Order: sequence, then structure tokens, then C-alpha cells
Amino acid sequence: MASLVGAFAASHGPIIARDWEVMARDHRDKLAGAFDEIGRRLAACRPDLLVVVSPDHWVNFFIDNLPAVCIGIGEEHDGPPEPFMQKVFPRQRLKGHAAFGRHLLDTALAHDFEPALSHRLKLDHGTCIPLWRIGVDAELPIVPVIVNDLEAPMPSIRRCLAWGRLLRQAIESYPEKLRIAVLGTGGLSHSIGEPTMGWIDEEFDHRCIEHFARGEEAPLAAFLTEALPRTGNGAHEIRDWVIAHAAAGSRGFELIDYFPSPPTLVGAGFASWRL
Amino acid sequence: MTDYRVSKLFFDLQHDPKLAAEYRADMAAVLDRYEIKPELRTALEHDDVGAIAPLVNAYLLRFYFQIRGMPQDEFIARLHALKPREGAHG
Repeated sequence: MASLVGAFAASHGPIIARDWEVMARDHRDKLAGAFDEIGRRLAACRPDLLVVVSPDHWVNFFIDNLPAVCIGIGEEHDGPPEPFMQKVFPRQRLKGHAAFGRHLLDTALAHDFEPALSHRLKLDHGTCIPLWRIGVDAELPIVPVIVNDLEAPMPSIRRCLAWGRLLRQAIESYPEKLRIAVLGTGGLSHSIGEPTMGWIDEEFDHRCIEHFARGEEAPLAAFLTEALPRTGNGAHEIRDWVIAHAAAGSRGFELIDYFPSPPTLVGAGFASWRL
Repeated sequence: MTDYRVSKLFFDLQHDPKLAAEYRADMAAVLDRYEIKPELRTALEHDDVGAIAPLVNAYLLRFYFQIRGMPQDEFIARLHALKPREGAHG
């Protein structure tokens, strides 16, 4: 049987890639240090496969066809199409894991979840900035889980917790002896393309961190359900952290680092869950 | 209220560098093909961030004004000039 060997979360943001070489050195070092620590912990887990839970930034989907959740079940996926990514992460293809992707899809359907599926996803900066900075081995297969974090209506936090539990169930029922890690990407607070653009809501971020650290699902869900509509739109990516949280068993996490990052417009958060 | 045609224009511009180049060279010709409502066409022609923002996803709006060549600081300043949503601050 497969097992969950690690669960992590890391922020992303296009400016991290676009301005990496010109960013103030101390700020870049702070970002690099946090990503490096995730990379060190991920490598220590010796994963055979990485499930990456991330939004789609209008790369695969549009409002004419917008799934709440889509599972990538292909043998391979396309690298990031954004020009600013191609200079730092010029990978045309990323290795998938069709068998586990299909098992996750089947497990979902068997438990009354109806995700979309894709045999070939384009993995945008949301997935690939963390992979780039963490230094994920090109041979490590990726199973992408794309969550609609961008366009209302979005999956409820309660449903994201259920998705996390389902992901854990799929991992533990997979017949092959695989070591599987989960990475949620995005968040914490940020505000993009709206009148509060640039706002980093540190109060929201600290309360998120407190709830994730404590672990309990009901207070986390209550807080996020109430607070998300009142903060910047980028914070909706917290759904990806919630899925990682529940996959890890909701036992709380260790914060690797948090700091507001005005140069990249995000509340930069990095975490590792207790299993 | 989402405007599908403006959203589709922004989405297509993000995905198609040739279309983006054509848009820079001959905006009117591209707008003709998208059958955009006259008042929204005027807003696009005047880079009226405030008129367009409520009609499209905020991320698509950001991509669009990057394609239009508007510096990020100017884009943010124009957004900040709009009335913040109730409850938002900072």
C-alpha cells in the first residue's frame, strides 16, 4: 500500500519568477531560505510521487468551462506557458503518474465526488514556482489537482476539507508501495486586480496560521468561511492549504516561515504538516 | 456582472501572442471581431480600468493591462482610486 510521507504548503506569485534576479537580495534570500527548507524536508521524505494542489490562472480553463476541481491523470503534463516562467523553469514537459491519478479519480467517484479530469494539463506558475524554487527532481512524477480558487463560486472550505480526507484515503488504498507527498500552493493573503491590489492582510494570515497550527477542522472552516469574503481575492488559494491540511490528518502544522512580501504582493507562507 | 465577450477577449489575448501583437497594432480590428458592446468598447479604448474591472475576473484584468503595457504601479494606482469594497481596508 502507498503511504503519505509529507505534506507541505508554499506561496507562489508571478513576481517571484519575473523579478527573482532583480529583487532586493535580503528579501530574495528570505524567500529562497523558506523554499529551500521545504525542498530539504521534501527530499528527506524520499517521495516517489508528489500531488500538487494548485489553482489554474486561466491557463487550462475559462468561464465557458470551469471545473471546481480537476485531477490530472496523464502520463505527462505541459510546463508553464507564461513567458516569465520560461526563463527560470524552461521545462516543456513534467512527468505525470497516470495510475495514481486514475486511482484518485476513481476513489473520488466512488465516494460521490465528481471532479473533472485531464489527460494533459498545462502547469502554470502556481504549480511550477514552488517546484522550481524547492528544486523538485525532474524525474519525480507529479499528480496535479487543480482547484478553482479564482472565480466565484468556489468550492466551500468544508468541501476542501473533505477533498483532503479523500486524497488521504486514495493514497492509503493505492495498491502499490509508493511514498506520496502533498504540496498545496498559493496564499496566504494577497489582492490582485481589485481596488485593494497590493494589500497583504497580516491579521488574516496570522489567524490562518493559528488555526492550521492548532489543527481542528471546524474552527478553521468557520474562520475561513467568514473571513475569506472580507480579504483580498488571492487568499482564496488557501483552499489548497486546506486540502493539504486534511490530507495530513488535521493534526496541525509547523510554520516554516511567514512574512509579508510587498515586492511580490503576497503574504508569503511556508509550512510542513505533522503526520 | 461578468461580460463574456470582454472576458473572452482578455483570455484570448493571454493565450495568443499573435492576437496580442495585432491588438497592439490595430485594436479596432480586433474589437470588431469580438462584438463588444459600444460602451465597453469605449472603456477599452480609453483604458478605463474602473469601468472594466467589475466585468471581468480580476486576474484577467491584470493580464490585460500588462498586455496593454500599463506599468504595474499605474495599474495599482488606478485600482486604488476606485471605491474599496465594503469591509476591505489597507
